[in-house]
Amino acid sequence: MKRKNNKKFNKRPQNPLNKLSLFQKSDSRFSKNCPLSGKDAPIVDYKNIKLLRRYISDTDKIMPSRITSVSQNKQRKLTSEIKKAKILGLI
Amino acid sequence: MSFYEHTIIAKQDISTPELEKIEKKYKDIITDTAGEIIKVEKWGLLSFAKKIKTYNKGFYIHYKFKAENKTLEEIKKNSIIDNSLLRYLTVKYKKLDTETEYFGEKESNEKKK
Repeated sequence: MKRKNNKKFNKRPQNPLNKLSLFQKSDSRFSKNCPLSGKDAPIVDYKNIKLLRRYISDTDKIMPSRITSVSQNKQRKLTSEIKKAKILGLI
Repeated sequence: MSFYEHTIIAKQDISTPELEKIEKKYKDIITDTAGEIIKVEKWGLLSFAKKIKTYNKGFYIHYKFKAENKTLEEIKKNSIIDNSLLRYLTVKYKKLDTETEYFGEKESNEKKK
């Protein structure tokens, strides 16, 4: 009987509505891998506006990396490229 | 010698012969001070995200060149004084990729529609 109970607790909640309590972290919310680093990653550049628009909020603020899960090295590059694009009036 | 990219925004109400003059002026500045032009791109008339000095649109010209510190000073001097320009930006690069064009494709797509 004990073993069966243990298995139930070890299962990760896949649906966020399946959570046991409010303070339990939901795993399905964030992807852990950085979308900008890796082999087939897109180029971060101030001319590539389509990509930069994804990392900007509605009020033209830069999104924090804890929401977008961008790595720290790429986040530093993103901020500098977004600021360059803002100087030229592209974003 | 290192690689640079330079973009210029000209005012909206400028006629086309004057635009060609501006384009030629900065070309000459680069070549006169022992620089090498690799590519010139005309992005055309684009609308700004926000107003810049009561202007809603502007002509974009984009240079890719190889030069030393001397030419950068000359470009900066001229573009500050120039009345027909709104803004400018120079960026230093270790490697230039001349193949990908982000703004040329958009215009061709719009024409097809």
